[in-house]
Amino acid sequence: MSGPPSFAGLRPLASLRSFPGLRSFVVRRLLLGAGQTAAVVLLVFALTEALPGDAAVALAGDQPDPARIAAIRESMALDRPAYERLAHWAGALLHGDFGRSLVTGRPVTDYLADGLAPTLLLAALTVTLLVPVGTGLGVLAARREGGRADRLISSLTLGVYAVPEFAFGVLLVFVFALRLGWLPPTAVGYGADLLAHPEALILPVAVLMARPVCSISRLVRAGMIDALASPYVAQARRYGIAPARIRYAHALPNAVAPATQQLARTVDWLLGGVIVVEALFVIPGLGTVLLDAVKARDLPVVQGLAVVFGLVSVVLNLGADLVVHHLAPRTGVAA
Amino acid sequence: MRPLRLRARRPGFLDRPGRFALGALLLALPLLLALLGPLLTGPPGPRQAAFTAPAGHLLGTDFAGQDVWRQVLLGGRSVVLIALAATVLCYALALPLAFAAALTHRTWLEELLMRPLDVLLAVPSLLMVLLVATVFDPGAVGLAVLVALVNVPDAARIVRASAAEAAARPAVEALRMQGEGWCRIALGYVARCCLRTLAADAGVRMTGVLYLVATAAFLGVGVAPDAADWAVMVDRNRTGLFVQPWAVVVPALLIVGLSMGTNLLGDAGLAGRNRAAARPRTTPRPRTTKGQP
Repeated sequence: MSGPPSFAGLRPLASLRSFPGLRSFVVRRLLLGAGQTAAVVLLVFALTEALPGDAAVALAGDQPDPARIAAIRESMALDRPAYERLAHWAGALLHGDFGRSLVTGRPVTDYLADGLAPTLLLAALTVTLLVPVGTGLGVLAARREGGRADRLISSLTLGVYAVPEFAFGVLLVFVFALRLGWLPPTAVGYGADLLAHPEALILPVAVLMARPVCSISRLVRAGMIDALASPYVAQARRYGIAPARIRYAHALPNAVAPATQQLARTVDWLLGGVIVVEALFVIPGLGTVLLDAVKARDLPVVQGLAVVFGLVSVVLNLGADLVVHHLAPRTGVAA
Repeated sequence: MRPLRLRARRPGFLDRPGRFALGALLLALPLLLALLGPLLTGPPGPRQAAFTAPAGHLLGTDFAGQDVWRQVLLGGRSVVLIALAATVLCYALALPLAFAAALTHRTWLEELLMRPLDVLLAVPSLLMVLLVATVFDPGAVGLAVLVALVNVPDAARIVRASAAEAAARPAVEALRMQGEGWCRIALGYVARCCLRTLAADAGVRMTGVLYLVATAAFLGVGVAPDAADWAVMVDRNRTGLFVQPWAVVVPALLIVGLSMGTNLLGDAGLAGRNRAAARPRTTPRPRTTKGQP
């Protein structure tokens, strides 16, 4: 086998040999992904080292009683040298062992399991709605460049794109929960089972979608305008093919490649956005767990969540770059 | 009956110039309030009951019984100044790095400078800020440094790409053969060629930095819990949203105006520059020593 084994599942090897450039791109991109993974783990581990003074005393914070300090020192094995702890911690990560909370003593995986469902639900709903809405707005704006719809959509997406989720969310709550009384202002009282109360999900998902929709619709619009001005579309028009079919069957597939990549890049925002939206609407997901742990200086929980968030981001970016390379091999992707 | 529409449109609402005007309009009020507000406030009045309706006060009182209008006047400065400082600091770090990587002839040095940044790009920026906040309490200066550092990889990448293109031009070879120094080539030619990219990036960067600074403050990073800061006001006064919405809505609107205005202005400026780029090239000519052919 000539290719690296990790690549074998992605594409038939036969097609690989005819594209040496592709192979080297994929290999380089995978290497970068591995480097990023290592960087995330190292960076998160370095947090303990960055604590000022004695880490155990610093983590004990408001309750500096000797028993607690000793417990923290023992729990995090702070007596051992850093490289030994790093090896131990990274090895445990591979086995799915994230350590134990300093505050409650529960395993960090419990925290992850508790917060996963609401966060996953929010993310899944957002991404499912994001793609059609973003693409639809982009196509609508591109129908007539500079037309009324285009100017309105372009200005709106440009403006909303910049707005922090918390400010946008609070204003939506003011209008739809307070003034109009249509929707509940927060998810308080619904617990983790949000699917049973879809009305409590409308505002969070709307806030979470706002920024990514803008960026995706702008990319689709630009791609559509390029595609509609291309020779093959002109030829299709000469054949008398219906405009709708030209737009959706011929131009759109060529316009979505850059948007695919952006979809993964928006994961960065979604991860940040989820933290803010969960705080704003009091949803007991991973973002809330992370914020609580940050406030309590519960380092193992913060580290565990950071590794998970960081790795999700690395893997999705990697996947998007490979997919885009597959769709449009000419567009350069950083690697 | 609909009037006959001609194909040629009038220059209409929300065109590029229209957007520029809209952006300027949106930005003007928050920016003026942020910069001049602290000069207009008097000494703090006596604390009153929390979340009272706007009787006697322009906008009522907040969670701690302070006058909301006074807090609004005071609260913009930190957001704007931290964001400005972070943007400046980000470029102060990214530019030397990017130019060094673009102008060096040693591949290993370029790899050494740029590869670590590629690796860091993968970490979500808000996560990075929160991670550091677990370990230190950064304060306002720390928040500015943190946000600047988080933005360095992306800024350095963009500037390096532009500088590398300029550094590969024949003019640079010519300058080198004339015996011009590294500084002269880097600052006199390559940096001037990058100005356009830099200006375009600055608008986007400023928007992103504002977003991150405001969001971090909302989550309680880098600010005192009772600080006069628009983002903190939104967070702390949320509990009284139903009693006294103005303490939340006014600062939220100001943040929206600030960020929307920055982005609209940045984009309008970018569009103007793109038009200029479409005209015949007007890159700065390399300045040569006088009298030489």
